[in-house]
Amino acid sequence: MELSVVAFWVLSTIAVLSAIGVVFFRNIVYSVLSLISALIAISGLFFNLGAELIGALQILIYAVAIVVFYVLVISTVPQYKGEAVDPKYALLSAPFGFILFLELAYVSVYGLWASNTGIFSPDIFNQISNAKAVATLLFTKYLFPFEVASLILLVAMIGAILLGRKDIVEEEKEGGA
Amino acid sequence: MVPYEYYVALSGLLMVLGFIGVIVRKNIIAMLISTELMLNAVNVAFVAFDMKLHDVVGQVFVFFILTIAAAEAAIGLGLIMAIYRMKKDVDVEKLTELKG
Repeated sequence: MELSVVAFWVLSTIAVLSAIGVVFFRNIVYSVLSLISALIAISGLFFNLGAELIGALQILIYAVAIVVFYVLVISTVPQYKGEAVDPKYALLSAPFGFILFLELAYVSVYGLWASNTGIFSPDIFNQISNAKAVATLLFTKYLFPFEVASLILLVAMIGAILLGRKDIVEEEKEGGA
Repeated sequence: MVPYEYYVALSGLLMVLGFIGVIVRKNIIAMLISTELMLNAVNVAFVAFDMKLHDVVGQVFVFFILTIAAAEAAIGLGLIMAIYRMKKDVDVEKLTELKG
């Protein structure tokens, strides 16, 4: 068997098992640990697909930056005491999950993206590296969305600071009065 | 080489699992984590289509999805902290009133 096939099956098994763990682990800390495992497995899948830039970004941004947010909040909010999974919604989710899967399968099999619309032919693709191709598109055709993305991050940062600050200011006022 | 359909099927499976997580879990932080799982499923599909179409536009969009995921985590967790300070709870069943 080819090495990439072995890598696919190993990594996808890890990803799916970790995803099941994310959903069904009772303790939220275990859920986050499963999420890290799933993210790293998915990053491996990106490397396997030849998207090395996205694979590296996946580890850097998701598995490091975003998970740190979650760990920070989990360490602040006390251990959740109630039931982890709501039984009535667990029953409800099975048919809806199945319908969603059917939809996704239908779109995957009969979707419109089957035609080749890529701007990079395989020859060019082999000449320049993946990171260079992504960056070329990002700074030419998608420059405006790229700048908007930076603006979104700025707005999110300011929003998060305000959400975190508001009560502290009020408490200080109450304490002073 | 693994056919790209396998990657798309994996993406669908991860998407459904994240969806089930959002419905089933009662802890609001766990619901956000399941949302991250769904975003990752979309990323897998984008990169798989890139492999099939010999293009990198999907990877550019993965870049944007990463941005949105970071913004969503910052805002969502900020909201959770604010809600927790007000209600002292992270159970969605008990967070049905907007003003406490």
